[in-house]
Amino acid sequence: MTIHDIRTSRRRFLQATGLAGAAATDVLGLGAGLKALAPADAKAQAPAAAAGTKITKSICHQCPARCGIDVYTSNGRVHAIHGSTDHPISNGKLCPKGPLGSYILYDPDRFKQPMKRTNPKKGRNEDPKFVPISWNEALDTVAVRLNGLREKGESHRFALCYGRGWGASCAGLLGTFGSLYGSPNAPIGHSSMCSDSSIFSKKSTDGNGSYNAYDYRNANYLLMFGCGFLEAFRPYNNNMQVWGYIRGEKTPKTRVTAVDVHVNTTLSAADRGLLIKPGTDGALALAIAHVILSEGLWERSFVGDFKDGTNKFRAGQAVNADDFSEKWVKGLVEWWNIELKDRTPKWAAGITTIPERDILATAREFGSTRPAIALFERGAHAHSNGIYNGMAIHSLNALVGSLFAKGGLMYQMGPVYGPLPVTADDYMDDWAKGGAWKNQPRIDLKGHADGYLMANNMLQEVGPNSKAGKPYKLDTIMFYLTNPVWTAPNGQVWEEALKELFVIETSPFPSETAVFADIILPDHTYLERMQDAPTYPFQGYPMMQLRMPAIKPLYDTKYFGDTMIELGKRMKGRMGEYYKALKDTDNVIRHLAKAFEKNPGDNGVNSFETWAEKGVWYKKPYLWQQRNGEFFEWDGKAYAKPMSAEDVGKKLLPTPSGKFEFRSGYLEKNADWIASKTGRSKAKLMFPHWEEPKNPGGGDLYLVTPKTAMHAEGRSGNLPVAIAHMQPTMGGRDTVYVEVNPLTAKAKGITNGAKVKIKSSVGVIEVYARLFEGVRPDTLVLPMEHGHWAHGRWAKGRGPGHSGDVTVNQSDRITGQCLYYTTKVSIERA
Amino acid sequence: MAKWGMVIDLEKCTGCQACSTACAMENNRLPGESWQDVLFYHEGKYPNVKMSWLPRPCMHCENPSCVTVCPTKATYKTADGVVLVDWNKCIGCKYCMIACPYGVRFYSDDKAIIEPDLRKVFAGDGKRSWNPPYRMADASEDATRGIGIQPRGVVSKCTFCYHKISKAPKGVADLDEDNPQTKEHTPSCVRVCAPKARYFGDLDNPDSRVNQLIADKGGVRLKEETGNKPQVYYLSGGGSPVVPGARSSGKA
Amino acid sequence: MTTSSMSIARPNTVLVIAAIGLVVTLGMAGMNLMAQGHAAFNTNSVGISWGLPIVTYDYFLLTSTGLTLVASLPLVFELKSFQPVAKRCVWLAIAGLVGGVSSLALELGSPIKAISIIWTFQTGSPLFWKVLFVLAHFVLLVVLFARMRGGGPVRGIAAAQFVAALGIALIAGAVYGMMAMRPFWFGGDVPVAFLIESFLGGLAFIIFFSYLAHGFNAQAMPADLRGLFGGALGATFAVVIALHAAFVGARVVTGLWSNAEGLEVWGYISSRPLFHVEIWLGIALPLVLMGSRGTRQNPTMQIAAAVLVMISLLISRYDFIIGGQMVPLFKGSWAPSLLAYVPSTTEWLVFLAAIFLANVVNAYGEWKFDLDGR
Repeated sequence: MTIHDIRTSRRRFLQATGLAGAAATDVLGLGAGLKALAPADAKAQAPAAAAGTKITKSICHQCPARCGIDVYTSNGRVHAIHGSTDHPISNGKLCPKGPLGSYILYDPDRFKQPMKRTNPKKGRNEDPKFVPISWNEALDTVAVRLNGLREKGESHRFALCYGRGWGASCAGLLGTFGSLYGSPNAPIGHSSMCSDSSIFSKKSTDGNGSYNAYDYRNANYLLMFGCGFLEAFRPYNNNMQVWGYIRGEKTPKTRVTAVDVHVNTTLSAADRGLLIKPGTDGALALAIAHVILSEGLWERSFVGDFKDGTNKFRAGQAVNADDFSEKWVKGLVEWWNIELKDRTPKWAAGITTIPERDILATAREFGSTRPAIALFERGAHAHSNGIYNGMAIHSLNALVGSLFAKGGLMYQMGPVYGPLPVTADDYMDDWAKGGAWKNQPRIDLKGHADGYLMANNMLQEVGPNSKAGKPYKLDTIMFYLTNPVWTAPNGQVWEEALKELFVIETSPFPSETAVFADIILPDHTYLERMQDAPTYPFQGYPMMQLRMPAIKPLYDTKYFGDTMIELGKRMKGRMGEYYKALKDTDNVIRHLAKAFEKNPGDNGVNSFETWAEKGVWYKKPYLWQQRNGEFFEWDGKAYAKPMSAEDVGKKLLPTPSGKFEFRSGYLEKNADWIASKTGRSKAKLMFPHWEEPKNPGGGDLYLVTPKTAMHAEGRSGNLPVAIAHMQPTMGGRDTVYVEVNPLTAKAKGITNGAKVKIKSSVGVIEVYARLFEGVRPDTLVLPMEHGHWAHGRWAKGRGPGHSGDVTVNQSDRITGQCLYYTTKVSIERA
Repeated sequence: MAKWGMVIDLEKCTGCQACSTACAMENNRLPGESWQDVLFYHEGKYPNVKMSWLPRPCMHCENPSCVTVCPTKATYKTADGVVLVDWNKCIGCKYCMIACPYGVRFYSDDKAIIEPDLRKVFAGDGKRSWNPPYRMADASEDATRGIGIQPRGVVSKCTFCYHKISKAPKGVADLDEDNPQTKEHTPSCVRVCAPKARYFGDLDNPDSRVNQLIADKGGVRLKEETGNKPQVYYLSGGGSPVVPGARSSGKA
Repeated sequence: MTTSSMSIARPNTVLVIAAIGLVVTLGMAGMNLMAQGHAAFNTNSVGISWGLPIVTYDYFLLTSTGLTLVASLPLVFELKSFQPVAKRCVWLAIAGLVGGVSSLALELGSPIKAISIIWTFQTGSPLFWKVLFVLAHFVLLVVLFARMRGGGPVRGIAAAQFVAALGIALIAGAVYGMMAMRPFWFGGDVPVAFLIESFLGGLAFIIFFSYLAHGFNAQAMPADLRGLFGGALGATFAVVIALHAAFVGARVVTGLWSNAEGLEVWGYISSRPLFHVEIWLGIALPLVLMGSRGTRQNPTMQIAAAVLVMISLLISRYDFIIGGQMVPLFKGSWAPSLLAYVPSTTEWLVFLAAIFLANVVNAYGEWKFDLDGR
């Protein structure tokens, strides 16, 4: 998900509140050792940590939530990380990954400088035989390659893939780089290997192609479909804070029903845990929608009502659309007639294996408790029917009137940055403006009718497509904060692809990508960086955060943003001039901060210096609210300014009709393509409907591979403390176990702790098994951890085998979503 | 003097283990040296499986069975109620580990549970059994109180972050991370807890929140039958299902 | 009576073998400990902190006290028929103590600091009393032996020695018996069980080592010694085996019967083949052999019974100490419901080194000091 893609058009202009203009302070603390938070009000502030200890602001790096952290440095050592007290996401708290930062900084296996490969052979077990080189040599090598490609007219054969891009000073530079250089493949984001399907479910129904922001604190009911809310759902730290409040303090206590394929902490801590057959969450959601309508529980002020006030929704019976007057939704009756009327709880019980009485009870609770939120991500949608599962679930929010409501869900306002010192358009040469590269499709066939016409990205296809030469073979590929040769399903194909390419890795760590790399341009670890990061979808109001280096770089590494700028400077012609004018990321970030001068944050941040001191700029509240079916805008004191339907359609529900569309205009617009490529019926494909999932792999058991709470997005693989806490539910301490239901295990002769083989059509791995009554008999749950064949001395070779090796690379044709949880495997004693 | 105690609210606790990793970070713990640990249990048959979890620091008992058995008096209880280990006196006989009903103690010479052994990667310097670049501030270390990286051949355990709490303003009722005055003095496991399931305060102060929570929400001690009377109390949702021991509650 | 010249050769052989064995095992164990520290042991903080080295220490210590108790029979209680074993008992007690303490020294994290125990006066700790008494026991043994050689008055020292030995056995039991949080160990009966086992071990060991000293040739032994084994000592041996059997039976039956948490270990222990070796071969059979007059008089049967009892006591000591730690305390999913433990190579080496060291000391005594003397 590209944060910087979110609309930046929403701007706010408030009176400068003139909060204490804190004097510029030595925020890096590079002077005398003592540094505390510069207090706006000295009396309210804490005494700083012990004398000699320096506290620097940064943002945690272990997931996209962007919790503000205070980094403690004493005696020249970074030794502690705590949540920043005045940061709206962390509020002084952290999740279990937050404290891991100093281990990442001091990882003994880090690259200490740029490296060049001397072993021409590439393979999983081939030692690259790296030799250290200078930055000049490293950057010149890459520049020569890129300039060469451009001169040959083949600039499209350069691809730049990125994963966790943080903000304008790193990933934000890449779009310009690609435009100036002339490659459709720079950059390619990872969103298809993330949770794009939910973005499309939202886009198809309410017009917003984005993750939601949530107001959990004021919700009275939460219905979670396949969300590891207490394990991985972002922003995890804040979700747990909210949990403590809504379950431990708030009156009334928020009630929770959680649905998943195995018992985890989320299901255990909820009021009701439901074990569902993988890939059938859509059926459950449809049945809940059916009950809400047939029992008259829908929110009439938002949805509308029958004109004569009587409820005509009855199971199995069609309704006349003219009898119903819709308010903020479109296509409700059509949806009922074509799909919902037959989707009874009894029907859903047969599909999902959840008892009918539980489906009914859940539906009635959800339908009668306001405000209520239905939430989901990959658990529900990383299946071939995922977009429809997601649309069905999200439709529940519309039915109970939670969209943009207090205690409901909304969308994130984008960052409010100042303009860069230079405009890219002024530096486009002829090749950039109209070269032949523009006729080339993207390597992943995003946007191509023969590929993924509607998808945002198809990162998982880059390797396989280049290997197959369809649409063409790449020449050079660069990676930033992404490691698809390991994380992509069936990564073995990527290995073959990378053997043919000139590979540039920017990770600080000796990753699997590095094993195949020709050049290493190592980044700083996050505690050494100055880097901006606009917020991940949180509570809707805009927030931009800043990492300040807690320590001078330990080694000869370079911040990725500066690597790109230095590379850019070496590009021939106008492109090089652009980057020379851009100078460096320090310049970029200071320009971003200029926006704060006219638009100070709630905590007084109004300059780069104050931004660095506080670590975050934010401006509450979220600007819009829906109340009893009416929309209001914030007028400075309250949500009191009524919005016209046109306004709502433009700012909040940007669908063709300006309403929540059960009948999706967006999907209908692409109906021909969808029907021809996926075989779906043109009559139904625009409605949330039930589809049997298609499960490749050839086995008899579903394989689901969730993250655990310790999973620091691939960076925990080489951290002993993280490894030792990885899977507490099953005692997974130096490995992780596959959860096998005892009945299934008995049928296959597998005992507790036995070594097993998990097989699919693409591979086989060895794992140790744990017999667990809490996992469905038709399902295996293996956390996506370990199985590294590189990445450092603790990561390398740590079992079990990597789940990606047995995951079939199946993607959803509409959304591009990589379908991680859809492979069916077999299991046997090893 | 304060009598420091802790309250852990099992209804709010999400089992995330941030307390465990924050402690490991704060006190430079090796993997497996879980001064603070979260213990997971489950029982039941599919599909009715009950999973539960329990954060487990040292209980800093009122009648610590570990203190009585230590032949060198290396383990002792401070005037403010905290049980500590003096590494200068500890001979590593491990009798305290045998005598602790709650399994909170760790011997420094165990085999590494995660290989390669961090003690070899960041080799020690004689005084400390290992010496990593992220070691705690020099000023915080105190071998007489078992704070910092221990030498070889001794036993270590949770210190209630004594290096922090001992610097708290005198007479304060609770050490709360949300209070700027006490934030830096709050134990790390309490400070990091996102659902705010952990509280730390003075059990001898009638105004402290820990006392109020124990009373209002039925705080219980674990393993009453040992008579150790922990100073760590658990809240489980108002029930109070555990029968208080007669000795502990002063009835015997 | 003087030692027959035929017995001079034996101690030397034992001494040489034991010395070589000591050098080898101690050398290897030492190297492992230098390289890995106590990570060379298989004990760990998950629950089994006291392993084979502690078993070895306790086993040797209780054998030492047991031998002292046997020596007390003639020296304190004036049962003159037991006089023939007195000197050897005392020296063997010293040998056993040295072997046991060596095992402890290799087990402790920082043994040098342990001297401070003497002045801590941690009176609430059984280990404080144990150390105090063991120190006294050692000093008294040395003085007693010197007096016995030199011909000075021994009754007072022997009486003090008796109290020390009695005390150690009871306190050693209390180390475990006072642990209320470990139901497998808890109970006031445990010190008494230790006392019985100690006395039993003393009897078994003196029979065996007396025969060893004379090359397992009963005719080479002094007649009164030979007669003692078939007579009063043999009978005493039988009675004490029976007492021990009663205690074992009581513990096993109670443990197997009870539902209480922590006692599930008994089910595991009693399912192992070694348990049955301990019970049937190591207690029942010796009881029969020493109980019936015919077999009791037979030197081969006496030696067999002694060896079986020595082995049985080792198994019992091991199962007792390890068993009490097998149920993990508050480890959740990190540990199985019963912990597994097998001694590491280094721990076996420490065990063997203790045996060799004790035998070096004892064989030296057999060689240099006339242990058959009165």
